[in-house]
Amino acid sequence: MKESGIGRREFLQAGTGVLSAGFMLAGAAAKAAGLQGGREEYGVKWYPFDKWPISDTCWAVSVGPDGRVYAAACAEGVPGGVVKPVRYNEQRDDLDYLFDLGEKVDDPGDSGRATQCKIHYSFAPSMHDGVMYMATHLSGPPFDLPVYSPWYSWHDEKRCFRGSALLAYDTRKDQVLWWDTLVPKEGCRCLLHDEERGLLYAMSYPRDHFIIYDLKARKRRDLGRISSINPQALFIDKQHRVWTTNDDGHLVRYSPDKDRLEVSPDILPHAAYETGWHSVFYDVAPSPDRECVYASTWAPNPYLMRIWPNEGEWPRIESLGPATQERDLTVPMSMFQDHCGGLVFGGDGKLYYVASRWRESVHSLPSSREEGEGVVWRLDPATLKREEVTLLVHPNGSAQYVSRGAVDHNGDLFFGHIGSHPAGIFKVAMPASRKRPNAHLPIRMWG
Amino acid sequence: MDTEPKIDWHSPKIQAYLKAVSRTFTNEGTLVAFPTCFPGMTVPMPLEESHITALEVTPDGIIFGGTSGRQSHLFVAAMHRLTGIVFDLGTPDGATHCAAVCWGSPGPAAGESGGSRLLAFVNGPRGGRAVSSPAPDMDEDLIQEWGFDDRKLTDHGECAPGEPVVHAIADASHKFAVGVTAGHLFTTDLAAPQIRVVGEVSAKGRIALASRGGFVGQDGGAHLWHYDPSTRALQGQAVKLPEGSWDHPLSWARDAQTGLLYTADTEGRLFSFDESAGFSGPLGRTALGPVGPMAVTFDGRVFGFCGDEIANMFCYDPGLREVSNLGVAASVIERRRYGYVFGDAVTGRDGEIVFGENDNGGHLWIYFPRIRSARA
Repeated sequence: MKESGIGRREFLQAGTGVLSAGFMLAGAAAKAAGLQGGREEYGVKWYPFDKWPISDTCWAVSVGPDGRVYAAACAEGVPGGVVKPVRYNEQRDDLDYLFDLGEKVDDPGDSGRATQCKIHYSFAPSMHDGVMYMATHLSGPPFDLPVYSPWYSWHDEKRCFRGSALLAYDTRKDQVLWWDTLVPKEGCRCLLHDEERGLLYAMSYPRDHFIIYDLKARKRRDLGRISSINPQALFIDKQHRVWTTNDDGHLVRYSPDKDRLEVSPDILPHAAYETGWHSVFYDVAPSPDRECVYASTWAPNPYLMRIWPNEGEWPRIESLGPATQERDLTVPMSMFQDHCGGLVFGGDGKLYYVASRWRESVHSLPSSREEGEGVVWRLDPATLKREEVTLLVHPNGSAQYVSRGAVDHNGDLFFGHIGSHPAGIFKVAMPASRKRPNAHLPIRMWG
Repeated sequence: MDTEPKIDWHSPKIQAYLKAVSRTFTNEGTLVAFPTCFPGMTVPMPLEESHITALEVTPDGIIFGGTSGRQSHLFVAAMHRLTGIVFDLGTPDGATHCAAVCWGSPGPAAGESGGSRLLAFVNGPRGGRAVSSPAPDMDEDLIQEWGFDDRKLTDHGECAPGEPVVHAIADASHKFAVGVTAGHLFTTDLAAPQIRVVGEVSAKGRIALASRGGFVGQDGGAHLWHYDPSTRALQGQAVKLPEGSWDHPLSWARDAQTGLLYTADTEGRLFSFDESAGFSGPLGRTALGPVGPMAVTFDGRVFGFCGDEIANMFCYDPGLREVSNLGVAASVIERRRYGYVFGDAVTGRDGEIVFGENDNGGHLWIYFPRIRSARA
């Protein structure tokens, strides 16, 4: 690691070691954001995964079919680490730790293989039976090795990741109904459920294959490779077509009627100085009417956009511009500092998302909340006007990297956070005037 | 495991592991992935139609190729002078697999691509067929201004009724080609293609041009057939394969300087084959098996890929009699891409190795071997 640089591993390992639970920060957030003085206040509260202290990331936050919020307490930087799904308990205002996933799928952390360390944008609800599907991802090293490379260990039967484990979790009975291997040897980067057709869709890692899983037959179909850079999200349209992106920022579409993968002629919006390379989806949120989706890209200087998949042969795409601030373009930027995620529609019909904001050199690892802020934005789909509503203030560290956002049945928002030990989630209590019951419906069907 | 296990990062075992992991990708030489298009001007072949399974190269470095997938494409590529293009020549009707491409030089222009012809062998619902195209002039200025002629594919019919083509290669003069279907060996003139079935073989894997002008290929499990074009004599089970495991279809590399052939068994044991002297003993073993496409550069080193799903590149150095693992393919110059599965390999004009990527969104991968120290 260079003195002034920060790579993925350093970022994940350098998180703050805070164990303080239930740290109410609404006042500080509002003050920091300058939001007092008659404006609606959003209460921000941090929930560390302190009952799973080795957790170091939280990539998945989704609302379940029961309207409650589920998150993944991942342990990917820890040799032998295993993910524990958690759920927000509104009665206790705390987190319930559901199970040790490695134990449930007979792949414990001390197996000697790369571990079932995380769930990466791979919760997908099933409304008719109350099941929450979840699929695991790789990167956690075996218990006796410091790092894991899926490429290096691909042919090593003793060390190679066994495969993404797909679990059907019954949220009504709180039990795992069944599990299967979704993708042998590979992780699942993102998951989507087409409930009408009983199909799960997934992107594999590292090979970037497009996977279809038939829930009734419990059979996997591999449609092959898309690109090199894993897209971080899939979405589905009214025609049951499933969409994602390739390396160069083109849309990739699977059309069940044609049974083939197609690549769009146009490139997703990106900064003028970029080529579109790496403009893959980071997060995609459906509009409540399901006519369009809002997306952010996984690249420095992430762009926001609105995509209308039901219009024309290829969708109409509106650029909503960059999500983060201007900076010196001659200096390569850390993807862990310049970031936008957590796209979710609130009960007020507005799009919320979290974008990073920084104050110092682009090289510096944010070491305090002042240096790396997670700004919660509210975007009005009618006017496309956006306003800053609050900050995600971590009790003792930065909060600029949010993975996913979700809204629960009460209308409160939750955001997954990357960069602290233990990892955790933020709850953003919505102002009363902006809440509504069952705000999570219609539910998002992908992670 | 509620607490983080303690690992001694400084232990020799962990240090060795970390060093090995750091060498996972292209750890010697340089690989450059080139898309199946005129970059910046055209779009690559469709994702599921761009598995490159057949390559051929002319002495001046023009590359001919064919793809497999939902639809086979034939192409010509040029990477030298003012070129830098993969030119899609079209899609043979109904073809979903390209087994081989051969370059045919019709006459005095031998050694040049102009006036020459591409003959491809493709498979699909219409059987295993021969299809040809005139080779376009690749001497355009693709920086400044360019023009291209229309190209038309000509279908020369099935090679053997009802049988898919397994492989075919041209002779050294590029006047004729020898190919095999599942059950027969055939020949054809390259300038004016006309298929002539010579006899029956139990063909499997690729065929090769041996050091004295004969053609060989796997005959069933443990032997090679041999075809002598001068006498048109086809001999089944002509050569016994060395002790080894020979379940996987054979691939070959040919040293153009000596005519020496290289092949490998299913477990990655490398052997050389000389048409006069026969097979060598085992030369070494690749890190993974089976061995896929490979080619020989001008100094005799053999470069190829081994292993399924995520292949590793290897080098066999006949001077050192050593096999080294060069890691998983990665391109970081211009095109950033991992390379996992490869379908064919040829040696380019200057000794570079050109690999065809047999995957969705397949690229041509140009490998520039490390230059060895003169003092070594």
